[in-house]
Amino acid sequence: MATLPFTSRETGCSFFDRTPETCFVPEDFAGDEQLMVQQAEQFSRKEVLPLAERLDKQEDGLMPDLIRKAGVLGFCGVDTSDAYGGLGLGKNLAARILEYLSLNGSFSVTYGVTSGISQLGLSLFGTEAQKAQYLPHLASGEWIGAYALSEPNSGSDALSMSCRADERDGKWVLNGTKMWISNAKWAETFLVMAKIGGSEVSAFLVERGMPGVSVAREEHKMGLKGSSTARLVLEDAEVPLENLLHEPGKGHQVAFNALNIGRFKLAAMSLGPARDAIWESTQYAKDRKQFGQPISDFGLVRQKFADMAALYFAVESALYRVGANIDEAFAEWGGTVEGNRRAAEEFAVECSALKVLATEAEARIVDEALQVYGGYGFTEEFPIARTYRDARVSRIYEGTNEINRVFLADRLWRRAQEGRAQLGGPGDSFVSELAHKAFAKFSKDQVVVGGLSDLVLLTYAEQSARLRAQRLGGLAQMAYERFVNWANVQAAFAYQTVTGDPVTLPTPNPGHIDPLATALLTHRSPL
Amino acid sequence: MKILVPVKRVVDPYAKVKPLPDGSGLDVAGVKFDVNPFDEIAVEEAVRMKEADPSVHVTVVSVGTSESEEQLRKALAMGADEAVLVETGDPMDSGVVAAELEAVVRQVQPDLVLMGKQATDDDNNQAGQMLAARLGWPQATFACKIARAGDHIEVTRETDAGEETLRLALPCVVTTDLRLNEPRYIALPGIIKARSKPLAKQARATDARPKSRVTTMAAPPPRAAGRKVASVDELIGALRERGSL
Repeated sequence: MATLPFTSRETGCSFFDRTPETCFVPEDFAGDEQLMVQQAEQFSRKEVLPLAERLDKQEDGLMPDLIRKAGVLGFCGVDTSDAYGGLGLGKNLAARILEYLSLNGSFSVTYGVTSGISQLGLSLFGTEAQKAQYLPHLASGEWIGAYALSEPNSGSDALSMSCRADERDGKWVLNGTKMWISNAKWAETFLVMAKIGGSEVSAFLVERGMPGVSVAREEHKMGLKGSSTARLVLEDAEVPLENLLHEPGKGHQVAFNALNIGRFKLAAMSLGPARDAIWESTQYAKDRKQFGQPISDFGLVRQKFADMAALYFAVESALYRVGANIDEAFAEWGGTVEGNRRAAEEFAVECSALKVLATEAEARIVDEALQVYGGYGFTEEFPIARTYRDARVSRIYEGTNEINRVFLADRLWRRAQEGRAQLGGPGDSFVSELAHKAFAKFSKDQVVVGGLSDLVLLTYAEQSARLRAQRLGGLAQMAYERFVNWANVQAAFAYQTVTGDPVTLPTPNPGHIDPLATALLTHRSPL
Repeated sequence: MKILVPVKRVVDPYAKVKPLPDGSGLDVAGVKFDVNPFDEIAVEEAVRMKEADPSVHVTVVSVGTSESEEQLRKALAMGADEAVLVETGDPMDSGVVAAELEAVVRQVQPDLVLMGKQATDDDNNQAGQMLAARLGWPQATFACKIARAGDHIEVTRETDAGEETLRLALPCVVTTDLRLNEPRYIALPGIIKARSKPLAKQARATDARPKSRVTTMAAPPPRAAGRKVASVDELIGALRERGSL
């Protein structure tokens, strides 16, 4: 995995109290790690994107074939242990690869689930025998995996699930319906949460072929049409006793820790299409002529490019900083079930912050990118319409952005009560200063918690982008300054929501529209 | 059979680069580098020959700065067995590269040197031919198909008159064209394995000096705007005016 000449010494939520001297930035990925990322991008462009329309029609066998192809190249088990058929690389590199394999949404979610949360619970909590039985099939891409937590009446309130498991005749017998199961159509294995005796949430490894397991019809979705989403129906499903994962009654640890890392990975899955949408829209703008010149010459179009790049830059900075910290936590504590749990939990607040940041950045970027295409953006003539549809669900799954907002400020506050985070410091930027001041008004009111969460995630993004800009200078500094202008306004609004007090905004930085737009129009990479 | 594949570190052929303001070279700040695409095709071909016959041993070599290690590692990740880096920051032209490669050939003693017909940075298309001449070996350039035939090799090459097939005795030098093959995706385990494959760094073996030197680099002048004409007669008149007709 990418190692730095230093360790960040960051712990969960430590960012809130102090800015580290430096942190991991995407430019720190080593030469051969970038070669892996390059392979991922080529795979997306040559193997996946040309099939987008056929994938959306769910042509038989097309998606599983692509997953198998990706598996042959080693993509399906990047951060799975090499003892079980994976490559044993870091989660940060796995996320970077995922970002570049996510240029098509349907492939992205299929791949993301089978390489991510379908294996993660097993990797973190499985016994040797369980890991040896299932991980090699999933890490090779030969099998597709799925994760089953939600139910028709239990979404955000996941622990209110009604699916139950009972021990009968030397087997677990599962009954219930799991909803919104990504990969349901193709999956050989499902990581299923059910309540033993109707009360103790537990995790089970369920195979498609076990008696009583079936998959209902495909949901008719607004986007991600090429991905499979259906209900998993368990009717007296018979599961061997040894397929209980982790301890009875501790399924929530499996589910939620898989989700912590899943949220971090989803951030990468959201940035991938956003990054590509920026590039595609610049290319369109260069070709499209109005009033005798390319529309890429016009101020309002160039402003969009500068804004999209600044936002991408900031969230990208935050994403790979968290990833490096997660890798460090696993290096320090991982290996035992208890250590894995601790490592997966440590940066839970940051993972939630990233999920919200990245999915909302994606929404804004694909929306603005589509606008560049004018009327053509509203047709199927260009891929941006599909990208736009596919992006919508990002703010909904892996915990809605609302439930993540409720979670993250509350979690930070509770860590502070336990003495594991510091609130009320001076802050070292306008955003972080407001964030600290606003916590004096902490309450359980959802609107207050939501506002505080906005301040927390803006603090994280601003700080991460600042650290990266300090290292890179030039265009990165410009992108950072442009992002700060936006973040300050957002933070002021959130502060006012929480406190009701007036705020005076600092003097804005220069807009840097022209150099940023020019760079984007020339180079494939946002900066 | 031993194959030697020279690979060159070049500016990413898809990057847009500009000359430095003083014309002394290219501004490569922030620009990515990659293996010269023609050389990548040569590596791919050598690896395919190795896959068809496991006794084939593939050595890749680069003459350049220490940064060329990155390109050698990529070639190793594609499946080459070992790498040699002739580390130098000296100015070079095709003649110097050919001289250095000759020394490496004498050291490695390959049966076949397989290399790109040219590099995408300077487009000289000389090093392969010069190397064959220095060695006194037969050569086949612009290969679009290579087949082993006992102790010979058959090379189909693209010429202006069509394709021609040559039969060469080994050892020989073959340069590759774009149509020869399409390089593979590099599997991630291959990239990991490449980390532990041998890569020998050595100093230059000759004191060859470049016989040509770049005096200045400048961007082509921007195209002037065209002019619209109303009729064919006016067009012909305009062409006559310019002396084009």
